[in-house]
Amino acid sequence: MFYRTLSLWLCFSFSSILFAQDSFQIKGIVANAKTLQPIEGANIIGKGSFSTSSSTGIFTLKNVSEGDYTFTISHLGFTSKTITVNVGNDQETHKILLEESTTALDKIEINGKTKKRERNESPVVSQLVTKEFLSNNRENSLMQTLSKIPGVSTIKIGSGQSKPVIRGLGFNRVAVVQNGIKHEAQQWGNDHGLEIDQYGIENIQIVKGPASLVYGSDAIAGVVDIQPNKVPLINSFSGEVNVLGESNNDLLGISAGIQARKEKWFYRGRITYRDYGDYKVPTDKINYESYIFELYDNNLRNTAGREANASISLGYVTDKFTSETTISNVNAKNGFFANAHGLEVRTSSIDYDSSNRDIDLPYHKVNHFKITNNTSLALDKHTIHADLGFQNNIREEHSEPVPHGFMPTPSNSKERSFNKNTFSLNIKDAFKPNEQHDIVAGINLEYQNNTIGGWGFLIPEYNRFTIGSFAFDQFEINSDLHLLAGVRYDYGQINSKSYFDWYPSTINNANGSTSYVYLQRAQDKTLNFGNISASLGLSYLVKNTTFKINIGKSFRMPLANELASDGVNYHMYRYEKGNLDLDPEESYQLDIDIDHTTKNYSFGISPFVNFFENFIYLNPTSNYYETLQIYEYTQNKVFRAGGELRASTNIINNLQLNASAEYVYSRQTSGPKEGFTIPFSPPLSGLFSANYQFKDFLFFKQPQLIADYRITAKQNEIVPPEEKTDGYQVLNMSLLTQIELFKTKRPLDVKFKLNNVFDTKYYDHTSFYRLIDVPEAGRNISIALTQTF
Amino acid sequence: MLLITSCSSDDSINIDEEKPTITINYTEGFPQACEQLVKGETYTFKAQVTDNRALASYSLDLHHNFDHHTHDDQGETCDLEPIKVAVNPFIYMENFNIEEGLTTYEIDISITIPNDIDTGDYHCAYSVTDVTGWQSRTSIDIKIIE
Repeated sequence: MFYRTLSLWLCFSFSSILFAQDSFQIKGIVANAKTLQPIEGANIIGKGSFSTSSSTGIFTLKNVSEGDYTFTISHLGFTSKTITVNVGNDQETHKILLEESTTALDKIEINGKTKKRERNESPVVSQLVTKEFLSNNRENSLMQTLSKIPGVSTIKIGSGQSKPVIRGLGFNRVAVVQNGIKHEAQQWGNDHGLEIDQYGIENIQIVKGPASLVYGSDAIAGVVDIQPNKVPLINSFSGEVNVLGESNNDLLGISAGIQARKEKWFYRGRITYRDYGDYKVPTDKINYESYIFELYDNNLRNTAGREANASISLGYVTDKFTSETTISNVNAKNGFFANAHGLEVRTSSIDYDSSNRDIDLPYHKVNHFKITNNTSLALDKHTIHADLGFQNNIREEHSEPVPHGFMPTPSNSKERSFNKNTFSLNIKDAFKPNEQHDIVAGINLEYQNNTIGGWGFLIPEYNRFTIGSFAFDQFEINSDLHLLAGVRYDYGQINSKSYFDWYPSTINNANGSTSYVYLQRAQDKTLNFGNISASLGLSYLVKNTTFKINIGKSFRMPLANELASDGVNYHMYRYEKGNLDLDPEESYQLDIDIDHTTKNYSFGISPFVNFFENFIYLNPTSNYYETLQIYEYTQNKVFRAGGELRASTNIINNLQLNASAEYVYSRQTSGPKEGFTIPFSPPLSGLFSANYQFKDFLFFKQPQLIADYRITAKQNEIVPPEEKTDGYQVLNMSLLTQIELFKTKRPLDVKFKLNNVFDTKYYDHTSFYRLIDVPEAGRNISIALTQTF
Repeated sequence: MLLITSCSSDDSINIDEEKPTITINYTEGFPQACEQLVKGETYTFKAQVTDNRALASYSLDLHHNFDHHTHDDQGETCDLEPIKVAVNPFIYMENFNIEEGLTTYEIDISITIPNDIDTGDYHCAYSVTDVTGWQSRTSIDIKIIE
């Protein structure tokens, strides 16, 4: 590969020489930025000239024309650098310091295919999110950061928590995968947020479509696959410190990570701590139904939170064998808005306004412990991958004890607690019998054990075991045409445990007598499920255009709460009733993706059509149970269609313009809510952004100004008990730059961000607090500093 | 594709997007905010409900507010007694169906306040559903006295 490119460059430079007019030359020296040792064999490429550095690091570029001249210095293992010098008669020797790159090159690149090419060839419609995107767009939580991607949105719970929504589907219909292991927590919960540290992530692959084939149940609407970080380079040590401050919720966050490798052994470590106060909304009172909540200093009372995360990993790598074990822990405590918990209006003697940083009742706390091992072994034509994981998720919801119905005042604040253990094992074999076929076959095993506590009952204790096996083949019909076909079978068993109320309920019998009964809310029940998933796709590359078409069938096993819940959710004023007869959800989807990218512009469109045979959702009925409206888990047919549009251009120097739009249409085509949409349908939305790259100014290097303008249409598509949400327009600005304080050190990355520039009061249709008419956060100024070393 | 799908939303099914209404703000509406009910007496609880399509069910819930855990939506602030522990609070929870097809209805429930229950601050919550599954609620702060 190296020689091929070298000869290509040489050829290029020779042919260019023919047109060179003046014979100025540039002299320089290339050295390692850290050690200041000269680098031998670096490639120096400019327009019409080429050179390599000698053993003393010295190079000469000949046949250079007068004026500004730009050239690139690159060397394997170092980050390439492009510099511009003014060429004239008086030539100094330029000193170029190269930074060691700290991650090993991708195997794919060594094979001669770039990652981008690989992605284009795969018929799976997916999007890769890079570390650069994450750090340039970093918001308060991982999913808020990712919601800039068309087709991806989020359900927010206050300022610090969020969960993924892909094309309007979320909760357990989107699988979040980290290091090959599906993240397992209480995803079904309304007020649950994703427990993943958003720092230290290098790449995320987002699949916007059914992906059960590889990921199993729950990946019915898409996948957020947080990929394992790359192995560091031999004898490298690097790290970074991120500091973040925000004005809206007085957030202070710090995250520090290191990674190092000797020869075969490598390790990484990261700690993150974030502490934030109540967030501010651009209103001084909330009008919810006929209630009015006055806000003190615009603070959304009791929405403060904190988060402390740590992770370490140890790995071993040889030519054929890589193994990394990662241990991580995420711990968070978040307050909930004090005036209304869920829909229930509450008054309290707690002095919430004495501090905007304290976390009083109601709040939740969560601890997510995870240990994963990723091992891969490259044999002759086979590569075996094994991912092993154990996760423990403990989540507690605390609220002021209040009697409800026949339940007397509980003795403590622990309303609900969940303790869930998940064991996962994935083994797959990537087999390449010849140049045409890439066959992958694998098996996934998962065991979940969920126990409950607290005085409020919502879901029963359960054990769940699933096993699935799959095989797919990516067949290269010719170098531009690829076919992917795969099939999968899953078997699952859910074992729900019985539950009885801890207090007696009064039952008026038909004969006029009264009995006091400890009601049974859940039964001991074992349910079995089996399901076939499949996927067939084609990708066609022609010049700058990629066409993809994919048709797939995915599934999702019903959850314990969908099957067996039988409890009063006082905060939502409803009685939730499970249905043991639910079948696994089955979804068929047709995806198309067309992408056209040239040097100056790119355009893409990704429409989809989706049909659910039996979409499960919590249907509000007309009936009551103990004066609470009965909501029943129901399943019916759902038709969905929509897609994303994206366009970008950098035709004007230094200015990049991007535009994207996303739309989903959903209809229930059978069942009690026939004709209605499905819950949490995101409205039509567009995002326009402009990115201007300024010239270096004083000690500010590569300053960039970014403006993001989001226009979201009104959401009239609702289903009981939702409210229609008005459209909105909101502007965010950010300024990114690097400050080079010391010549030999890496520059300090500075990000200055202004969210909701005009302090616009708007409502996000899919936000948890939308239900009680709480607008989105007001203006926020944030400063993020990143120093790598 | 986007245009086609967004234009094809003229459904044959005319969906109901209107919630029912519920109010006690008329002469016979009972109880009114801060109403005092006497133990042993019988009262007729009345509220007016309407819906654009058809009403379905309603419920009435009376429970104590000795801990001041909530307040009503009547826009009036009643004087609450000091916080106290419940010994034998009055609990009334009943659900009723409304005759099929009605669009207006007057809730009319006769309740005798028992003699052996705790006096103090109570909360009275009405709710109503329509055939589609929309619900409306209203709540009133009241007192039960000797």
